[in-house]
Amino acid sequence: MIITKKALPRRTFLRGVGATVALPLLDAMVPAMTAQSATPANAVRRLGFVYMPMGSDIKNWTPPGEGNLNELSPTLSSLAGVRDQLTVITNLELKNSYPGTHATSNAGFLSAAKAKWTESTDYHLGTTVDQIAAKQIGQETQLPSLELAMDLLSTVGQCDNGYACVYQNNLSWSSPTTPLPYEAHPRIVFERLFGEGGSTSDRRAALRQRASLLDWVKEDISRLQNDLGADDRGKVSQYLDSVREVERRIQKAEAQTADNILPDLDRPVGVPAAYADHARLMFDLQVLAWQGDVTRVITFQLARETSNRTYPEIGIPDPHHPLTHHGGNEEKIAKMARINAFHVSLFAYFLEKLRATPEGGGTLLDHSLLLYGSGMGNPNVHDHVNLPILVAGGGAGKHRGGRHIRYAQPTPLANLHLTLLEKAGVRLDAFADSQGKIDELLSI
Amino acid sequence: MFARPSARVRPVRLAASTLLLAVIFTAGASAQQPAAAPLQGASSERAIVDQYCLGCHNTTAKIAGLALDTVSPENVGRDTDVWEKVLRRLRARQMPPAGMPRPGERAYGEVVASLEKSLDRAAAAHPNPGRTDTFRRLTRTEYRNAVRDLIAVEIDAASLLPSDESSHGFDNVTVGDLSPTLLDRYVSAAEKIGRLAVGRPSRSPDGQTIRLPPDLTQEEHIDGLPIGTRGGALVPYTFPLDGEYEFTIRLTRDRNEDIEGLREPHELELLLDERRMELFTVAPPEGESPPAADQHLKIRLPVKAGSHKVAAAFLKKPSALLETERQPYQAHFNYYRHPRIQPAIYSISIVGPYDAAGPGETASRQRLFVCRPTRESEEEGCAQRIIETLMRRAYRRPVTARDFAGPLAFYREARAEEGFEAGIEMALRAVLVSPEFLFRVERDPAGLTPKTAYRISGLELASRLSFFLWSSVPDDELLDAAMRGDLSKPALLERQVKRMLADERSRALVTNFASQWLYLRNLDSMTPDMRLFPDFDDNLRQALRQETELFFETILREDRSVLDLLNADYTFVNERLAKHYGIPNIYGSRFRRISLDEGSKRGGLLRHGSILTVTSYATRTSPVIRGKWVLENFLGTPPPPPLPNVPSLENTVGEGLSVRERLAEHRANPVCAGCHQLMDPAGFSLENYDAVGRWRTAEAGKPIDATGGLPDGSEFDGVAGLQQALLRRPELFAGTFTEKLLTYALGRGVEPYDAPAVREIVRKAQAENFRFSSLVQGIANSTPFQMRRSR
Repeated sequence: MIITKKALPRRTFLRGVGATVALPLLDAMVPAMTAQSATPANAVRRLGFVYMPMGSDIKNWTPPGEGNLNELSPTLSSLAGVRDQLTVITNLELKNSYPGTHATSNAGFLSAAKAKWTESTDYHLGTTVDQIAAKQIGQETQLPSLELAMDLLSTVGQCDNGYACVYQNNLSWSSPTTPLPYEAHPRIVFERLFGEGGSTSDRRAALRQRASLLDWVKEDISRLQNDLGADDRGKVSQYLDSVREVERRIQKAEAQTADNILPDLDRPVGVPAAYADHARLMFDLQVLAWQGDVTRVITFQLARETSNRTYPEIGIPDPHHPLTHHGGNEEKIAKMARINAFHVSLFAYFLEKLRATPEGGGTLLDHSLLLYGSGMGNPNVHDHVNLPILVAGGGAGKHRGGRHIRYAQPTPLANLHLTLLEKAGVRLDAFADSQGKIDELLSI
Repeated sequence: MFARPSARVRPVRLAASTLLLAVIFTAGASAQQPAAAPLQGASSERAIVDQYCLGCHNTTAKIAGLALDTVSPENVGRDTDVWEKVLRRLRARQMPPAGMPRPGERAYGEVVASLEKSLDRAAAAHPNPGRTDTFRRLTRTEYRNAVRDLIAVEIDAASLLPSDESSHGFDNVTVGDLSPTLLDRYVSAAEKIGRLAVGRPSRSPDGQTIRLPPDLTQEEHIDGLPIGTRGGALVPYTFPLDGEYEFTIRLTRDRNEDIEGLREPHELELLLDERRMELFTVAPPEGESPPAADQHLKIRLPVKAGSHKVAAAFLKKPSALLETERQPYQAHFNYYRHPRIQPAIYSISIVGPYDAAGPGETASRQRLFVCRPTRESEEEGCAQRIIETLMRRAYRRPVTARDFAGPLAFYREARAEEGFEAGIEMALRAVLVSPEFLFRVERDPAGLTPKTAYRISGLELASRLSFFLWSSVPDDELLDAAMRGDLSKPALLERQVKRMLADERSRALVTNFASQWLYLRNLDSMTPDMRLFPDFDDNLRQALRQETELFFETILREDRSVLDLLNADYTFVNERLAKHYGIPNIYGSRFRRISLDEGSKRGGLLRHGSILTVTSYATRTSPVIRGKWVLENFLGTPPPPPLPNVPSLENTVGEGLSVRERLAEHRANPVCAGCHQLMDPAGFSLENYDAVGRWRTAEAGKPIDATGGLPDGSEFDGVAGLQQALLRRPELFAGTFTEKLLTYALGRGVEPYDAPAVREIVRKAQAENFRFSSLVQGIANSTPFQMRRSR
């Protein structure tokens, strides 16, 4: 199929941005979708992970009954349109995130690993599920994975309990010691995905220059290796891995330059003022990234743990974090639940959009699998049991939705990670503290 | 027998994991303690430890993980970490907890002095300068400043590089990583910077839209814009080439897409470097489906390459209702609550160049092209000079032939294809992505035995100095001094530090160090509840920041005592801030220094609206956050991290109580009391300031109770009391300030083995009444700054 002006309307970005300034058209490249045919028909092509901070009001989150998802809960009601591709899983836990903190909620969500308690450079966690998947299904695309978040400003003095900020802010870790930086600025995300534009030969020349620069950087870094202790040598070899990875990306981009087409796209010019507009724009970019097959694995943090963001657009002027320490106050719980529902509704927007984007014989959503949830259960007491978790997407025929799996006993979230990996074609015996797979999700 | 503590809950400082146990043991152990006899005269440390500490800190109870019966005060050198910990609590009079039997003030003084002496002696015998990481990447701020100083290009680093994560309160600690994403971004950044510096035509016109903060009130004059205007913004912008640029102004709209506040014609002007380029008129639309009233706010102008100031503002109407006459100030940006009275600027877009005429003569070209070849045969030699000059500054050291080979090869290749300037640009790009530029590398000298303290090289010291004082690369003079060996001579080092402090670049200590230490960085993300604080707008947010920055900068520039930070009879305000503070007779947007009299509610950081705001929630004050802030940032005795699985206390009880009452309820719970007894009282004394830093005497109809205290047992009323209590032991504040500055200077956490160095710095500075430069000079001279421990 061909991405036409119609499929990617020119106003795609402007709705969220507010400013319809006539920027010069960007000669962006969205590569043609040739990779599609090369992929086995029944593998999950894409994985998405969306993080919601500070748990939920689980009473409003959990749908009634179990087995079939006949009725959605108040918090999840906005997902009604995609219920057939939705599975809610109740009673998952993150044992390794104890002692209960915000830092370990975020850090444990995709790693299920124990975060080393430190504020210095010796931080240590575990490779996160998205990165394990990226090593398998991300190698054919320009970016093995894309890490996104919503918080543009860095804050000081607000990280948790003596844990370095990387635990609280970075969802993705490509190794136990390598947190991956995230991006929250729509324009920068756009440029990472589609570059700055230009004609095919311009872009080729630019890529060649980059490749030769990197060649030299590699030499330069190797020179640093002389006379170093073992751990510093380890650092240098990490740097070299990074160089090689960027080289690989450039090669991919070069290959894709060959048969790209140029849709009529505007580069987003700024960051929308309203949270919801910004979040939707970030989701729009994720749809584009998948549509253009620039990446297949995405993580997205809707807000940081301990975020004191207020949500005046839904009538909540109170900062989020103090609300979650509601102490049983019904009014505060109700407000927190509304923030939860608001976050879910943004995710619903994303799913609807994926479903509205045709791909192959179906839709983008059909070929994707997404995990949405939080690493914290009840934020009032900072626990990590009964986490709010749901799985969405067709999973290339490997996920039958419309279900509510309810475990009688607390079950490791890592079981779900292991299962998602299997569906993406990565077979592991175990992941972090997993005790098995989510068999119900495997049975179609 | 045992003198029972007063009924109020005893403050105890305990490690999180043992807190619950600790409270039980405190009670149990205390009961067996002998009655507290007033201590007579000098007593040996052992006796004091036995009498006052062992009740809790023994092998059995081991409260806070501390057992003092197994270590010997006669030989502190063996367990310096333990004794530094003890000393810190004794010096702050935090231990034994107030309410428990405590030594007299004289005995405290003696035991502190004697412990310090033995610890310092042990440190002098075996200096441990600690070990900074071998590889430390430039932070985003340092990168921006380095690019500015290397090639005179101003960049918006936030739009080029991801942000750095902070640790130990600063973003230059966890900087050892180089992920593919980051490297990718460095490569793209170098491309953009290279193009800007040399002025190579880009493939197509590029653009930027600068959006004004949505909560900026634009009814009044804004500082930096011409007199007689209102609202608008001043935007520094780097124009890549000589050529034509299109400027577009958009006005703010309401939800119906109507331009806000447009009820009659208004005039607005576009300025370039303070010169009016165009005067526009906007008028309410007429007729059916008229075009947008701001559609014509667009003009194409020729601009010379380089940095210029673009500005747009409305002409002030003499007839407009003067907001200054009305009290109280009301913000005007919120369509529903406080709509704009007059139209406001939403964004300014700059797109170009069209018909580019060439690179022009920019500051960056002047800095970069140290020579200009007039004929082809001169090109190679000139290129070598340019590249070598650049590399020396970028790598912060003399350039070797081997360093030189890479960038030169890039020059030659691009030169052959596209000419001289393209060659220079490519070499520049290579330098900007080199690990030698991006990383600060400190390596052990060859052949050193492990764990040896050694003096870092002069060039390494030069880099430490420049990144400490300027958050940037050393300049030529500093590099020359390092090469001559000057920096190992104390008098010459002192001269360099003095020169660097006097230099404009030391403003980084304000915008980078102080903004992180004092949490000023968080101001941008503070959005006080619009219903409760209807007058909080971006004008106020920026004014709050500016007050604190000007105040800190004054102490730096005038080399005043850092104790001024605690208590000063001057501050800085403009009309917006003065109105917020209730200070009369200040008019205009310009900031000015004002003297404060005795009864003033302002003066000193604790009374700065910026700090009072960043330590509050959107809807109310938080004595807990404020108290913790004071303990952490002024006293250097932060409470232990919150107990796992225990929620933040002040939010777990019902409404209808004042914050103080709610917190009192929590402290009735002994598990919580341990830490909150330490934090809350300091915060309570600031209760006269609301969540945006305004003075108040009542909350919800009830008079404010601002009685508070500190962990040393002192009790007082209000902010003045807190200031006095802090000033009673100025060395505690100066020590904490030094530790923060040292953390920032070294890019690593301050450890117990650094304590002797900190004490020495503080002691020497005390003789100079803690003048700012005395602390900076002290750090520059200190063991951890000048030395490093080998692996």
